[in-house]
Amino acid sequence: MILAIPLGFQVGLPYALAAVLLAGLSCITVSQVLSQKAAAERQKDLSAAQLLQSQKLAAIGELSAGIAHEINNPLAIIRQEAEWLLHLYKKEAPPDPAEVNNCLTEIVRQVDRAREITHNLLDFARRRQPVVQAVDLNRLVEDMTRLVEKEAHTRHISLEKQLYPDLPLIESDSPLLRQVILNLLNNAIQAVGRNGTVTVATRLGDDGWVMVQVADTGCGIPPENLAQIFDPFFTTKPQGKGTGLGLSICHGIIERLGGKITVASKVGQGSVFTVQLPQTLGRREV
Amino acid sequence: MATLPTILLVDDEERFRTNLSKLLAAHGYEVTTADSGPRALAELARQPFDVVLLDVRMPAMSGLETLKAIKQDYPDSEVIILTGHASVDAAAEVIRLGGSELLLKPCPLEEIIAKIETAYERKLARRE
Repeated sequence: MILAIPLGFQVGLPYALAAVLLAGLSCITVSQVLSQKAAAERQKDLSAAQLLQSQKLAAIGELSAGIAHEINNPLAIIRQEAEWLLHLYKKEAPPDPAEVNNCLTEIVRQVDRAREITHNLLDFARRRQPVVQAVDLNRLVEDMTRLVEKEAHTRHISLEKQLYPDLPLIESDSPLLRQVILNLLNNAIQAVGRNGTVTVATRLGDDGWVMVQVADTGCGIPPENLAQIFDPFFTTKPQGKGTGLGLSICHGIIERLGGKITVASKVGQGSVFTVQLPQTLGRREV
Repeated sequence: MATLPTILLVDDEERFRTNLSKLLAAHGYEVTTADSGPRALAELARQPFDVVLLDVRMPAMSGLETLKAIKQDYPDSEVIILTGHASVDAAAEVIRLGGSELLLKPCPLEEIIAKIETAYERKLARRE
């Protein structure tokens, strides 16, 4: 019996059977390899998902600890003020009105502090879809700079603008961008403190992306803090002076707008925050 | 009449420090305050304290780092940790580093005083 097999060869049955068996075997081997490869891929995906999940849980843990700390501290002070008032009313009749006023003022201040944290958290958690419209970034930067001019002047800080001429309009969300630019400007002014310079610049990158840079001649950020600067509740400001949510909110907004926010800093020389934005929303890779 | 323990209160939040110091003083305690870990160590080098009340989240030197340094230089000291975010892990870490107690802010003054008294009694018992 002669079997016709591909490639134009004619061989005897035993050879043909051997060839068929060999082909079958190699098919099995290939399918086994493929199945093992798929299993390995699935395992890899599973490990990546587990890693992501554990990272998420760790982030939630960090966030919860931060929230607890930031809310419990004002609560602790409110409790102390109330305890002191109770003590005064037990001891004195009537207590010194100035001291009572001082306690009540502090209670109001601490409630405002806690409210700021919860409101910022709501902003942080709110994931509203950006409302896309044509944005004149230069004009937006000028508007926001105007808002901080008075504060900068009071602190003898020179506020400089270097706006790229004919910067193209971009597709983005104006209110969200305003929030980011204002936050960066306020941070820059606080970093300088007094007597320095804050420079805000717009640029057009070679790759078509537009950039906003806010640079200050302030204290700078130590290298060990740079990696955490966009983490929720990370702050180097004194207790009660900052929630540590501003930059993490900025980071979240810029990501949602398809852009990137980065920082470069040198202790004692200052920091530069760079926001890169796509000209059209949806473009995420450079 | 039993003597009251001397207290070192360490917290970077000024209002918390002054309030607690004022409240404890109203109950007869002698309180010294420090706004950071290094300042607390400087105070301890100047004079001994029976009980240290120590905040956890402080810039430059954290409460746990300060606790470690205190227990290294003054192993007999009683340190009560005051924190805004207690967890099982944090409590375990405090115990591991030799802390006496962990108190979660905000906590009633009576609870702080009760912990101070327990810690002081423990210290007196060790001396006897």
